[in-house]
Amino acid sequence: MKKLFSLALAAGIALVGVSTVQAISESEIQQDIEEFQGYFLKRFPGLTIEDFQDGVNALPQYAHRRANWELAMEFPPYEPEMEKAAEEWNASFANGKSLNDCDLAPGHTYPVFDAATGDLRTIVGDINACLKANGEDQIKNVKRAKMARLVAHYRSQFNGEKMAVDFSDPGAQALYQKGRQSYWAKRGQLNFSCADCHVHNAGNMVRGDVMSAGLGHGVGFPVWRTKWQVAGKPWGTIHRRYGGCNKQVRAHPFKAQGQEYKALEFYEAVMNTGIPLKVPSQRQ
Amino acid sequence: MASTKMKIKKSKSGGYEVMVLAKHPMETGNRKDKKTGEKIPEHFIENMEFAVNGEMVAQANLGTGVSKNPLIGVGIPNAKPGDTVTVSWVDNRGESDSAEKVVK
Amino acid sequence: MKRRIFLKGSLAAGTLAVAAGAGMLTPKSVLAAAWPKAAFESKTEVEALQAFFGTSDVEQSDKISIKAPLQAENGAVVPVKVMTSLAGVEGIAICAIKNPRPYTTSLRVTDGGGGLYSTRIKMGQTSPVNCYVKAGGKLYMASQEIKVTVGGCGG
Repeated sequence: MKKLFSLALAAGIALVGVSTVQAISESEIQQDIEEFQGYFLKRFPGLTIEDFQDGVNALPQYAHRRANWELAMEFPPYEPEMEKAAEEWNASFANGKSLNDCDLAPGHTYPVFDAATGDLRTIVGDINACLKANGEDQIKNVKRAKMARLVAHYRSQFNGEKMAVDFSDPGAQALYQKGRQSYWAKRGQLNFSCADCHVHNAGNMVRGDVMSAGLGHGVGFPVWRTKWQVAGKPWGTIHRRYGGCNKQVRAHPFKAQGQEYKALEFYEAVMNTGIPLKVPSQRQ
Repeated sequence: MASTKMKIKKSKSGGYEVMVLAKHPMETGNRKDKKTGEKIPEHFIENMEFAVNGEMVAQANLGTGVSKNPLIGVGIPNAKPGDTVTVSWVDNRGESDSAEKVVK
Repeated sequence: MKRRIFLKGSLAAGTLAVAAGAGMLTPKSVLAAAWPKAAFESKTEVEALQAFFGTSDVEQSDKISIKAPLQAENGAVVPVKVMTSLAGVEGIAICAIKNPRPYTTSLRVTDGGGGLYSTRIKMGQTSPVNCYVKAGGKLYMASQEIKVTVGGCGG
């Protein structure tokens, strides 16, 4: 753990704000996965890798709150919306095709590195690209509502499949490195990194809340949150959550589907290698 | 409306449980409209009735202390597969909705 | 009067036919009872219990179990599930005693109903949540405190 921390910390401090990225190899990434997962399995003995699907609900420190989730899951609040999403997925475009005809990769392999463009493909991006290619209007709100439930519908078809993101291409490795630095770098007025809360303090409390483990982040997304539900906008993609988290440490959030959050999503997806999908999830 | 959703599942203690998700603002009458500054009047479900094959088995009484989009669960211990379960509710303005499902 | 109320909503024809045939539009003993306004408007728990159950003489019972979080994730949506093995359940009521009006919700039950009531309530602050069950003519209760706190990780 110390090795991972010092390597990442050195990388973070040395390279924040610099455009050249220190290269990372496929075997080093494999080592990152083992160390990251090993850290959490050790920190929460008794949990298997699959348990991390349930996010904070899996942690023993969350026992006093778990009934919120268990009772909610007796009648998952997102079910009516998921039915709606299934209809929307099969609805015909003007040209007679539907989202069913889109060329999407398997849900558990996203984000997908596209060697031709040098960019990462997300399900959100691929849905909008497909709409555009079929002469339909793209979805503007990429963090909530319709887009989120469409992503939930698509991704949920791969529930049970183990996360398996491809990082064999050097271009993918560079983007992985970018996301990794982002995860371990301090940000905001509160000067916290993602790791500060979700690695070093996973399971500890911040005021009335328990911090979730970084391992498993994104496996259950899109998420239906009670807090967002109360405000009338229950759905959120992972980029919506990243933005919120950045604001909570008083850091300016990045744009959803922009390079920063796509790279971060990629890093987290790689760290989740082997965890089965469980989409959507209901959280606080 | 017709936005009331129903689920029937087997109960651990025998029989079945009905869960109903109704779409309703459940306004307390204390919230203020952001634009006008006026209080939004109370608007909430009062009674929600459950029947099995037309026989009423339970009546839930709700008030402003019940959460928005109420999720209500009651036991129907004597229900059997093939029975029709109906739920219908009425609010303080006389608006109503209902749903029905057959026990599998 | 009940007939008019049910016809006001936009019920599907099929459902209305079922409801009409089912006798739901005609009063039927205690279950056609009006919404228990007095209980809901009571400022104290004792008044509310008198209004709904006709008595406030209560005894603790270990045959009532409450499934609810020790700490709510959101005070606007607090799930509470009351289950009882007591025989002859007539009614269940839930009171969040620190709410401005403690009487929050109730369930009237006949023989075909069971000893289970699950709902989600609003809580303004940490409070004991008292769950009452009238069974076999007597009133019983169990209680659980539910904490309502300020979160730390909004997002």
